[in-house]
Amino acid sequence: MEITLALIKPHVLRNTYAMQQIRALIAQNFTVLDQKEVCITKELSEQFYAEHQGKFFYHRLTSFMNSGPCYALILQSEACIQKWRGLLGPTKVFRAVYSDPNCIRALYGLSDTRNACHGSDSEASALREISILFPEFNVAVANRQAKKDTPFNVVLPAEIAATYS
Amino acid sequence: MLKAGKFGLGISRSYTAKAKRVVLAQDKSKIKEYTPKTTDSHENRVYVWGFQETGALGLQTNVKKAKERYTEMVHHPTRLQFSNNNDITDVAAGYGFTAYAVKRDDGETLFGSGLNTDSQLGFQVKGNPKDPANLDVIIYPTAIKLPRVQGESDEDMQVKSMSAGRAHLVILTKNGTIFTLGNNSYGQCGRSIIEEERYSKSALIHRIPQADICGKDDEIVQVECGQDHSMFLTKTGRIHTCGWGADGQTGQGNYHTAGQITLIGGDIEKEKIVRLSCSSDCVLALNEAGDAFGWGNSEYGQLDDSEHAQTQINTPRALKLTKSIGKIKDVAAGGSFCMALNDQGLVYTWGFGILGFGPFVEQTSKPQHLLPPLFGRNDFSNATSVVSIGCGVFHMGAVNSDGDLFMWGKNRFGHLGLGHKKDQFFPFKAAINGKVTKVAYGVDHTIALCKAYF
Repeated sequence: MEITLALIKPHVLRNTYAMQQIRALIAQNFTVLDQKEVCITKELSEQFYAEHQGKFFYHRLTSFMNSGPCYALILQSEACIQKWRGLLGPTKVFRAVYSDPNCIRALYGLSDTRNACHGSDSEASALREISILFPEFNVAVANRQAKKDTPFNVVLPAEIAATYS
Repeated sequence: MLKAGKFGLGISRSYTAKAKRVVLAQDKSKIKEYTPKTTDSHENRVYVWGFQETGALGLQTNVKKAKERYTEMVHHPTRLQFSNNNDITDVAAGYGFTAYAVKRDDGETLFGSGLNTDSQLGFQVKGNPKDPANLDVIIYPTAIKLPRVQGESDEDMQVKSMSAGRAHLVILTKNGTIFTLGNNSYGQCGRSIIEEERYSKSALIHRIPQADICGKDDEIVQVECGQDHSMFLTKTGRIHTCGWGADGQTGQGNYHTAGQITLIGGDIEKEKIVRLSCSSDCVLALNEAGDAFGWGNSEYGQLDDSEHAQTQINTPRALKLTKSIGKIKDVAAGGSFCMALNDQGLVYTWGFGILGFGPFVEQTSKPQHLLPPLFGRNDFSNATSVVSIGCGVFHMGAVNSDGDLFMWGKNRFGHLGLGHKKDQFFPFKAAINGKVTKVAYGVDHTIALCKAYF
């Protein structure tokens, strides 16, 4: 089965309601192999977004990512990359709100940069991005475990989960 | 039959002699004069609508009841209970939170409700004082205690101007002190950025005397926040900024991120700016003579439509686009569009989005005006015209001289207040029981400050 990296951006992580909704959506559609809160430093985001280097929004994107903690998840399902990107919707939020009003980005994105979540665009970049954020993660082991079909639950960071208890 | 002929169709009323005597003998002095019972002696009332899951609307009074509600949004403008008991003088809307400026006997001047995950509404805790639980979501307006120095009175702490961003709040008080709360990861609170600072459960409220920003001879009259930057407008028309500058929205001539509040120049250097508007990353400013200036994000051709137009403008520049629309009275900048109001009372819109001209999402760099009948002008009220405009990131609004609010644009979580979830393609009047004096446009909620009709 395919795996992909989902990265929930800082402004959504602080919106407890949006987190709850996205969490539910992920639990419905994917198996979560690993997850953690990450602080994306300037160096890490430059590495992560290396493909965009030289584009006009590169500086904006990398400085946005280190404005607060992000939440990274490794998702697994059939055709996972396409499925997650489908749920996310178009990259540009100002366009997405009209073309695809029910996608995650249209609902919780605030601008073209503050676009709620990130999803890998191909198998190769999924593996590359996972290796940057989860250096300890072993794809082969995860695949073996997945065959046993162990369900994983999405767990929120403690401080956010406390709001719902 | 004869009687019927005499009085036309015979719809006459006759009383018996006894009934006549009773009616005529009524003692008028005993008839009670009806005076409507006023439940609310306050001049201002507040209506709120839009997304309520974040608590930004401040309508819920009870956590248990809040859980039982079955809608996540309030479709119609709804009177805020808090405004019945408090004299609210100003409102500001951020992303999922609201701030209220209040006049009260007990000396509290600032209240807030909504998301508090970055302590943008101050340090709010509940439960056992020894082991307090932090409140990430505040469902009912709660006092935000502004730290005072010795000798500062309640009057000094009254709010003169305030504005809210994505996760920060900037307050200017009567005595010229600026308070900033919330997220400072870009320096939007006007203090140096601390790496890996935790904003949740933070009791820090930063205090800046206005003299530190603009010197002793000038004073600050308006504060305005973008999503992640802050701007301060002074009496002499100067603008000082701080915060995220990746789109050039700080106008400092670079794309840096700065906690240092800096005076900006460019084309506005010698102009007296009187008005400043920003809801996301694109900024519009207006000078005394009625010319518009802009800087920041221009990806949708809001600020420049020339062939090699930059998408990020980091220095304030005089707008060429608005030259044709005459003297401008008011400006408003949204996420991907801009608005201007000229001295004829005409509302101009341009950029990308639902601009108000019919059933399409449009992109244009040419400002076009909306027809006055859309804003309540008709044969019976010829003089009605728009007096103020404003917009959020996705929606626009205009208030006319009758105090009616008209809204249009993306209907994100029902924040147009029209009673449905569909997008509105032309200005439509929101049903509010009062004369609208000020509107705070949030990302997914709206708050209107109103006066009673009588």
